Amino acid sequence: MGFSSIDELELALRDADYLPDRGLSTALYLSLELSKPVLLEGEAGVGKTEAAKALATVLGARLIRLQCYEGLDVAHAVYEWNYPRQLLHIRAAQEGTVSEDELFGPEYLIRRPLLEAIDSDEPVVLLIDEIDRADEEFEAFLLEVLSDFQITIPEIGTISARRRPAVILTSNRTRELHDALKRRALFHWIGHPSVEREIEIVRLRVPGIPARLAAEAAAFVRELRGLDLAKPPGVAETIDWAMALNALGRRELDAAVVEQTLGSVLKYREDIDAVRDETLARLVDEARAAAAS
Amino acid sequence: MAAGDAIVGHVVTFGRVLREAGLEIGPGRVADALRALDAVDLARQEDVYFSLRQTLVSRHDELDLFDRAYSAWFLRAPVLPPVRQRTAAETLTRVGESPTDRLRADETDEQPGDEPLELGASGHELLRDKDFAELTGDELRRVRELIGRIARTRPQRSSRRRTADARGDRLDVRRLIRHSLRTGGDPLERPYRARKDVPRKLVVLCDVSGSMDSYARALLLFLHAVVGTGRGVEAFAFGTRLSRLTPDLATRDPDAALQRCTDAVVDWGSGTRIGASLREFNDVYGRRALSRGAIVVIVSDGWEREDPELVGREMAKLARAAYAVVWVNPLKGNPEYQPLAGGMRAALPYVDRFLPGHNLRSLEELAAVLAGIERRHAA
Repeated sequence: MGFSSIDELELALRDADYLPDRGLSTALYLSLELSKPVLLEGEAGVGKTEAAKALATVLGARLIRLQCYEGLDVAHAVYEWNYPRQLLHIRAAQEGTVSEDELFGPEYLIRRPLLEAIDSDEPVVLLIDEIDRADEEFEAFLLEVLSDFQITIPEIGTISARRRPAVILTSNRTRELHDALKRRALFHWIGHPSVEREIEIVRLRVPGIPARLAAEAAAFVRELRGLDLAKPPGVAETIDWAMALNALGRRELDAAVVEQTLGSVLKYREDIDAVRDETLARLVDEARAAAAS
Repeated sequence: MAAGDAIVGHVVTFGRVLREAGLEIGPGRVADALRALDAVDLARQEDVYFSLRQTLVSRHDELDLFDRAYSAWFLRAPVLPPVRQRTAAETLTRVGESPTDRLRADETDEQPGDEPLELGASGHELLRDKDFAELTGDELRRVRELIGRIARTRPQRSSRRRTADARGDRLDVRRLIRHSLRTGGDPLERPYRARKDVPRKLVVLCDVSGSMDSYARALLLFLHAVVGTGRGVEAFAFGTRLSRLTPDLATRDPDAALQRCTDAVVDWGSGTRIGASLREFNDVYGRRALSRGAIVVIVSDGWEREDPELVGREMAKLARAAYAVVWVNPLKGNPEYQPLAGGMRAALPYVDRFLPGHNLRSLEELAAVLAGIERRHAA
């Protein structure tokens, strides 16, 4: 399921309703070509996770997602033994002898995302989401897995990947990742899309939205990003908001409807307070003017 | 490999240009870049750009440096090579010697290395209470070791990760089953797991403006020692703007680290814009949750040149994200000091602990406070 050029991959992604910019297409293409993980960073809501989903779709691959959090350990990321079943088995064989091989065989193994991804016969896209949330011990372990694509379970042995999964790591940069991990991966920074691309994304994701409304919503969000906000809205917020506006049956923006629906674009009270009254009216006017031109 | 020799030469040299500009480019990265160029259409400039960027750069804050180097090298654009600005030799001396040093050098010919480096307990005691502003370069060198010792105490927090611990609070079922096999399935031994303590994130923001000049040297030593205690420490300097010092302080040798800091900070000894610097911190690093759950230590005399109200607003934001905020003000060492400076007054409502930081003894106090700090303000 390879792609012979960046253009080809880009077309396939568009067909899968994902509109990448050229940089992201290049990163994904190179990741497949060089068999290297790609690390995606960027503000929240720019479509890092979506990129992995879209890649899985176009590759016809299974998406396996590992959501990271502090304290994530081997038992939750790789495998765990099924203790209740093991205990039952020991009880059932009370009088006979239980051999270790029996108790630590594949049927008592609970397979977690990393093992699933390594030990899979079908093509896999492995999404390691928000790696910056995991602690350093886990990062070090992950580094090992990503360099050898094999996992050792003491009781069973070493399992090597028969086909290497495509690996996408995402980070919100709550801390710097270890250099060794970064060295293993291609790095791509996803910025906010251009207005044209954002309009295109909105129209793709919100079927039936009036063209004028899509353009005004994208222009308004762009104005918001220029303000000094605690959390500037990402593409995900633009899509949510456009859906809300469309559901309300609006054909264009006005101050009243923006006021009502602002909560789907801005997620902090102080941000909502900052975009009130005159500011809001001015932004709506500017967005309408920008969309009309 | 189809990449022609000319391209190999280009990329290797470009790698060197980036390395000189301060990026970490190993041979592995250059090899990746060549493989990447081999996979894309070299006629499309955009694809060449992204291939090089994605293989050679791994940090967002290096992108700008890369872009400038790329334009200079591949597009032959008339821009200056992106070599980090070296500051004048004059600013470098600021870390190494104090104003009193300079005075004394004029008066006598005494060699600074004459005194024995070992200090008795009484010597320590004297140094301990001496104001940093009055330390000679030589004394500062002796103080260095003490500062290192103080900085080593890091506040702890309980991690979400559990490790084997006989006094733990949660059964270790995996080991329980494994051990029970030896005794025919009866769990005679009961292994436990417990949460372990890990250092709490620590963020230090140090004012290096003119009014703090005489304290900056000692505080930089303190910063260096704190960064040396391991991961989860971030250090910043601010005057008119904010500079991240963590990478510069990571060098083991304090002199080299201080040198790199003076190279990195452009506004040594200029005015203070505390509010604007805090805003920059909140916007750029706070948004990345660098301050969330962290102990934030601000070292400044609170002399805001511009807008004290902005200081208050940004302090409020900071305090909401942080676990605790500590303000260290060297002026507080003077018993008659009152926090009248506008910036200081605006900041105080959001400060959990307000401490002096003018001598060794007060740094010890700081370390003790950090080790036992509790969250005081409402979340």
